[in-house]
Order: sequence, then C-alpha cells, then structure tokens
Amino acid sequence: MILFFLTSGLFLGWSLGANDASHIFGSAVGSKMVSFKKAAIIASVFFILGSVIQGSGTSHTLDKLGSINALGGSFTLALAAAITIYMMTKFALPISTTQAIVGAIIGWNFFTGNHTDSKTLEKIISAWIAGPIIGAAFAVLLYMLVKWFKNSSKIHLIRFESYVKTGLIIVGAFGAYSLGANNIANVMGVFVPAFHLKDLDLWLFSLNSSQQLFLLGGIACAAGIITYSWKVMQTIGSNILELSSEAALVVVLAQALVLFIFSSTTLSNWVVKMGLPAIPMVPVSSSQVIVGCILGIGLYKGARNINFRILGEIGIAWIISPVASGFLTFFLLFFMKNIFGINVGSLINPSAVASEQTSNLATYGQSDVSGIIKYFLLGLLIFGTLGVIFYALLENKKRNEIQRSEEKFWKNLK
Amino acid sequence: MPVFTRTTKNLILKIDEFFDDIDLGLLVFREGIKAYLDKDMVAFHRHLQKVDSLENNADRLQREIENEMITHSILPQHRSEVSALIDELDEIIDALKSSLNEINIELPDIPSSLNKNFISLTETSINAAEELIPAARAYFKTPYTVREKLLKVYYFESETDKLSLSTKKIIFQEMDELDLAHKAHLRYIIHHIENISDLAQKAADMLSGMAIKIVM
Repeated sequence: MILFFLTSGLFLGWSLGANDASHIFGSAVGSKMVSFKKAAIIASVFFILGSVIQGSGTSHTLDKLGSINALGGSFTLALAAAITIYMMTKFALPISTTQAIVGAIIGWNFFTGNHTDSKTLEKIISAWIAGPIIGAAFAVLLYMLVKWFKNSSKIHLIRFESYVKTGLIIVGAFGAYSLGANNIANVMGVFVPAFHLKDLDLWLFSLNSSQQLFLLGGIACAAGIITYSWKVMQTIGSNILELSSEAALVVVLAQALVLFIFSSTTLSNWVVKMGLPAIPMVPVSSSQVIVGCILGIGLYKGARNINFRILGEIGIAWIISPVASGFLTFFLLFFMKNIFGINVGSLINPSAVASEQTSNLATYGQSDVSGIIKYFLLGLLIFGTLGVIFYALLENKKRNEIQRSEEKFWKNLK
Repeated sequence: MPVFTRTTKNLILKIDEFFDDIDLGLLVFREGIKAYLDKDMVAFHRHLQKVDSLENNADRLQREIENEMITHSILPQHRSEVSALIDELDEIIDALKSSLNEINIELPDIPSSLNKNFISLTETSINAAEELIPAARAYFKTPYTVREKLLKVYYFESETDKLSLSTKKIIFQEMDELDLAHKAHLRYIIHHIENISDLAQKAADMLSGMAIKIVM
C-alpha cells in the first residue's frame, strides 16, 4: 500500500522532469548548441546527484502554506499537481511545479477547512511576479556584458562558440543540480515523514531513508527528462524568440543567478550588513524566470522577433495552472475520502496527526522496500552500463564509416 | 567538451588556410596573366600549375570544413551560411583556374597595344576579390567591421565594369585591323577576367547579410 501511495510522487517527479528540468537546457537545445541527447543525459545525471546530495529544505516554505497531515492527502495532492503539470506539458506550455503544488495545497486547505497563511501566499505570488522581472534585468545586463566581451576581445567566432558550448554544458549541469536539490523536496518531501527505510549500503557510500526517496524521485524526474521534455525545450528555446548561442548561455546563467540570489542566506546577510533591506528567501519558479530572461533579451533586441502569441499562452497557463491544480485537488480529495474512505487529512492538530500517521506507517516502512531499491539500482546500473557501451560502439562505428567514406571519396577523386 | 578538444583549433586553422589559398590564388592568377601578356609561357605554365594545386587544396579544405562543422555540431546557427560563403569563395578560385586553363588552351592573340588595358582590368578585378578575403576573415573576428571592408569590393567591381566596357569599346570601335572572330575571342577573355569581380560581389552581398545577422 505504501508503495502505491508513492506512485503519485513518482508521477509528479516524472512531470517535474518533463517540464521544469527542460528549462535548464531548453535554450541550449533550442539554439542547437547542445543536442537533446546530450542535454537529457547531463540534466538527468546532475538532477539525480542534486536530489540525493542536497535534496532538502524547500518543503518548509510550502509547509507554512498548509501542512498536509495524512498520507492519503499527500498522495492526492501530488497526483493533482502531477496531472496539472502533465496536461500543461501536453500542450508544450512551461509551467512551474511550485505553482501546481501551491494550487494543490490551497485546494487541500479548502477541503479540510484549514486556514491558508495569506502572508506566505502573498510572498509566493509576489515572487512569481518579481522572478521574471529580475530575470529579464539580469539577462539584459549579462547579454550586454557578453556582447561587449565578444566585440572587444576580437575572439574567433568558432572559438567563442566553443566557449559558449562548454559554458552551456557547465551552467546547465549546475542548473540541473540546483533544480534537483531545490525541487525534489516538492515532489518527495511529503512522503519523507511516512517512510522509515533501512540505510542502503552501496559499498562506497550509504543512503539514508530520505536520500533513498529522493533517489527514486530523481530517477522518476530523469525518466521525465528523457521521455517527454523535448517539446517544452523547443517552446523555451525557439518558439518565443529565436535565440543566438550567447543569448542561450545568458538565459541559463541569469536563471541560475536569480535562483541563487533568492535562496542564498549568506548573500542576504551580506546585503543586510551593507545597510540594505534583506533579500526575501522565497522559492522562485524556474519556468517563470527563464521566460522572463528570454523576454528581456527579446525586448533589448527591439521586440521585433518575440512571438507574443506563445507568450500570451504561457501567461494564461501561469494563471490557469494553480487554479486548475487547486480545483482538481479538491475534486480528487472528495472522491478519495467519500468513495474510497481514505484519510486525506483534517483540521485536527497537525502534529498529532503527523505522529499518528508516522506510527501507523512505520511498520510498512520497515519492510523490504530498501531491498527492492537495491535490486532496482543494481538493474539500473547494469542496464546503464550496457547502454553506454552500446552507444559508444555505435558512435565508433559511425565515425569509422564516415572516415572510410571520406577516404574512398578522395581516393576515387584522385 | 569542445574547449578541451583540438577540433576548434583545427577548424580555425583550416578556414584560415582556405582563405590563404584563395588569396594566394588571386596573386598567382594576376602574375599568370602578366606572364601571358609578356609572352613568358614558362612562367605562365608554372602559375597555372600553382593555381591548379591551390584549387585542389581549397576543394579538400572546403569539404573538410563542412564535414567537421556538421559532425562536431559547430556553429549550428551559422553553419549553412558559413558553408555557402566558403562555396562562393571556392567558386572564385575555380574561376581563376578555369580562366587560366582556357587561356592556355585557346591561346588568345592579345595585341600588345591592349596589354595595359588587360593588366588594369586584371588588377582591378583581382583587387575586388582580394578585398573580399579580409572581410571574410573579419566575419569571424570583428563582424561589425565587415561592411566597411566590403565597400572596397563594390568599388573595385564597378571599376572593373568600367574598364571592361572601355576595353571592349576600343576593341570593337577602334581596332579595325582585327576581324570579328578575333574581337569576339578577346571579348570572351575579358568576360572571364571580369567574372572574378562579379563572383566577389556575389560573395560580398552574402557576407554583408551574414554580418548584419551576427551583429544583431
């Protein structure tokens, strides 16, 4: 049963991978600087690393908005958010997982009669507005800087492009790592208190219970990136505005900087020391920031090439997604509670429910889930290794064939 | 990662070598025409062989550059334009080779009184193409200077047209001692020489558009 509850989290993870993770490499793939295959592999690997190594923390902000106090509620909430993201992805519209989850939490609050913390909500919504604006400002400044460097250094176009390409891979990998670290808690965080898995010893290192969950979530996200992120990458990278290679780098860098600024307490403390107001530690949506960045560059270039129709559709999707997610959650919770008789949470003291829920589920958690994960990982490792070997052999064969055909051509020509 | 491979460096070297070949080809062509007008056929054949080998090398480089750009996904957004530019430049060296070959086969009888006109025509036509090479190199390093460099190409091309017209006028209106076939043959050779500046202008038009796109 506990594994069944986990499936909605994995589905949400898959949706996150298909939608949010595509923002990292969207501009690089859209500008054809990095192939989709390479982008998907790098994003998947670094997303999983970020999830397992640093995947914690951000669920606290969402906890303030509404603390889900039953596993059935967590399951339904994750399912509603995942369905919303899936539907938006189906129409190739970039939406934010945070938006879908916030909408779902508010839906849960309405259903259970819990109070929605209006201050936290205000903070989150203002961040949704501020994020793209700051992203656009950063993108314009960075774009001007890169252009100035390119013109003043008189660097060869091909060398410059190779730097940009390398930069895109490094910044993209870092972005995927950060996204994994920040967003995995949105996907699996609600399940962490309910699971108490044995530590998984993987010879070189061991994974604790939450890390095992984050690993599973990370793998689900990776599956989303590989199987379904292509369409959103195209929307981000080429449909709003045709991006040049340096613009693609600037977009990814500006996005990473905005996310860093809104999540770095060290920077905020430093700003306070300088006598300036503190930077609010608010989760900023990566999809909104990236669309803001692209729009900023488009406006700087004169707004001639911006596809305002696509932009309008994205804007509508931003409004629709939290609302749709909230309604869907409310609707699903009704079914879960009244038809299936599952406890989806209530107005009772949250700490009491949480402890009850934990004690009820601890017995399930101690089962062989860790063993299943171990065999799953082993299988994944074997298939992964075989896949890499097969891919390397194919690439080598292709290279040899090109070389042979080239040699044959020149031989015949002579 | 691209920064850590030699592909970029090799490709830059190949593009530079390709431009060098075209540049050298233009120089050798000019010397070849002068040698022919001076009736120095040994030097003319030497120059013809040199242009031939430069053209072969340029063909090889062109193919390698295009292959490398595709296989290593280099300049994905400008690849087709760069390839087209290289094609246009290759057409110039092809034209140099075919012109010298035709002269070698047909051995046109150019009256010595027209030597000066032919030298001026060759110089101006070659100058147009020569001015194209720094502009093409600038596209890769300082694209915002490309258009100002191309002004000279357009200037020399129009000068070539004027020289070509005046030479043809002399041939057809002032040189009654030549028969019509001879005149037509001389006009044909003039067209060959003039064609080089026309090809340079065609490449310049393309380069001008490419430069605007990359600077924007």
